[in-house]
Amino acid sequence: MKHTITRKEVLNGADFLIDVVAPGVAKRFVPGNFCVLITIPNGERIPMSIQKAEGDTISLFFKKLGKTSFELDMKKVGDEIYKIIGPMGSPPPIKKYGTVVFASDLVCGHAENWAMCDILRKIPGNHIISIQSFPTSADVYPDKELCEPVADEFILATEDGSRGVKGHYLDVLEKLLKERKIDQVFAGGGIPPLQKISELTKKYNVPVYTTVRQIMVDATGMCGSCRVFIDGEQKLACIDGPMFDGHKVDWEAAISRLTMFKSKEAVAMDCLNEKMKGVK
Amino acid sequence: MAIAKRVPMREQDPKIRITNFDSVPLGYSAEEAVKEAKRCIQCKVPSCETGCPVRMDIKNIIKLIADEKFEEAFFLSKKDNAVPAITGRVCPQEDQCEGVCVLNKTGEPINIGKLFAFVADWAREKDFVEQINVKENGKKVAIVGCGPAGITCAVDLRKLGYGVTIFEALHMAGGVLQYGIPPFRLPRDVVDYELSFLKKIGVDIQLNQIVGQNIGFDELQKEYDGIYIATGAGAPRFLGCEGEKLKGVYSANEFLIRVNLMKAYKFPDCDTPIICGDNVGVIGCGNVAMDAARCAKRLGAKKVYILYRRTRECAPARNEEIHHAEEEGILFREMIAPCKMFGNEDGWVTGIQMIKTEFKGCDKNGRPTPVYIKDSEFIMELDTVINALGTSPNRLFLSNVKGLETHSWGGIKTDENFMTNIPGVFAGGDALTGGSTVIEAMGNGRNAAEAIDEFVNRKT
Repeated sequence: MKHTITRKEVLNGADFLIDVVAPGVAKRFVPGNFCVLITIPNGERIPMSIQKAEGDTISLFFKKLGKTSFELDMKKVGDEIYKIIGPMGSPPPIKKYGTVVFASDLVCGHAENWAMCDILRKIPGNHIISIQSFPTSADVYPDKELCEPVADEFILATEDGSRGVKGHYLDVLEKLLKERKIDQVFAGGGIPPLQKISELTKKYNVPVYTTVRQIMVDATGMCGSCRVFIDGEQKLACIDGPMFDGHKVDWEAAISRLTMFKSKEAVAMDCLNEKMKGVK
Repeated sequence: MAIAKRVPMREQDPKIRITNFDSVPLGYSAEEAVKEAKRCIQCKVPSCETGCPVRMDIKNIIKLIADEKFEEAFFLSKKDNAVPAITGRVCPQEDQCEGVCVLNKTGEPINIGKLFAFVADWAREKDFVEQINVKENGKKVAIVGCGPAGITCAVDLRKLGYGVTIFEALHMAGGVLQYGIPPFRLPRDVVDYELSFLKKIGVDIQLNQIVGQNIGFDELQKEYDGIYIATGAGAPRFLGCEGEKLKGVYSANEFLIRVNLMKAYKFPDCDTPIICGDNVGVIGCGNVAMDAARCAKRLGAKKVYILYRRTRECAPARNEEIHHAEEEGILFREMIAPCKMFGNEDGWVTGIQMIKTEFKGCDKNGRPTPVYIKDSEFIMELDTVINALGTSPNRLFLSNVKGLETHSWGGIKTDENFMTNIPGVFAGGDALTGGSTVIEAMGNGRNAAEAIDEFVNRKT
């Protein structure tokens, strides 16, 4: 199976999207699933959120953050990705919730936002509100990649107020929760805000599904690296999640465990930079 | 009559080998192998063969080696064992063929494992390949999982003429041979070579195929005449104690997958990292615990402790592994059990509270039962803790098969012919037993192949 890149676009200074051929994943993808990418032989197996699946291709959002995403960014249309595996994970129920909010503030969350809004809006009785927040107007994605087309209501926010509503999605959501009846919240993106959104929705007694991103090795339930603690019970983000009831997540552990390999990530980047120097 | 001593196995010096991941045993030379094989007294009724889960023709293979007919010895060993170079290295021979060897009573048993590894290695170097003319029978079998059970079942069915497709979840074939057992015990060129045989005889190995995720189990049911589930026992067990969420606490599976499958010992040339501290505690005393401890040593740990609630004499690990671990400076702390783990404000593990144990009675297998000694808790300072507590059947696949009956502990239920409650769907290996040895899983794959063949023939 050749996983050929068919489209690549810049989303902002650090984020980009690619469409890539992955029929197995595309055919069976349900929002809430993720896929596993291996960019090169001897590469890591990295979990990746999926924005959408159309025909044989899937759309993925990346942030240039570590070695693997830098390598991906160097690939062009027509290049291949070594392996794409999935779909993985256990999505939350795709059903009628009523008024649903999906809030996101980071690349993977934005991809999940699109996917979930798109499918839930097709279910009668759902009213979908999508909130996407970015630090400044310069970080906002191109219009056609924002969730406006897949939501009944779309709220764009920037933390400095340079575009759309001023504030983080947490500010926007709190206002909504105060003013309107919300039946279900979903959220993805940075982990610390997910802890906050869990506290916030708990205060308003509204259920929330959060994407608990964790470090995975095989991502098939074998290593236990992505263990999360749900109401004290150990679950695995790769096969039981990664979306969990935010009110039950041990966020302190989730936030801490995510930093375990920070020191090594820098080493990998330095190594890549050295190699790139050689190339020049 | 005095019986000659075993021909010793040359090994890498412990001081040197803890700095690399290369094979510890260097293998017999042809001369050494012949000398060792000649020690065999060729019993009329060879007890060694009764101890072999895949029923190898051990006596005759040894005779052929003694007569320097290595090629014939190789072909004879291949008859019953798809991967003799692997089993020669990882079987618990002391509990099987060598354990019941007559010489074990009066001297030292024949080094059967190393002899078989020699023959297989010799054939690999000479590039001898077993010639198999497969007569296609037009029937198709799907095998889920490319570990020891799946590999053996695949080879046996292929020899009978079946079209065989193996669906493997990971990006490399081999199962535990690839992700679990470290290269210093099982070199990867050996694994690659043994697996290349499957391709040569026309077994189709589909990597990155997670049945139930990217292919439906129902699709397999429609397309194949029989299915063999050999998904293994790859899910790690945890203690469930306080502090297990801390950074620096690994399951042995994670530690070994990082090192073996993802080659973290080559980081940053390979992308997957591993963090191994100076003071490492490995909880458990099986082969996996030994593997993890010896990997930690090779990753540069200053002190590596095996923490075990019994004594090493009752440990499930192979004698050779314990012996090698001792040589490499692994420290055994016996008759102690873990209570909880401590961490610092950054969430990294800093120590573990242990409690002393004593023996009280025996379990039904005759192993002494450890019980806690009241108020004997003490603290060990550690910066890495590895749980090697055993594994459970992989639940991802099982959760994807509707209606498949399993035991409460997660193992698949089958009848005496290895068939599950779903007709035509068979199961074996660790997915059935919950975890045993490579060779037991292979024996299982072999028996299942016979049962599948019988089932398909009866159906048509």
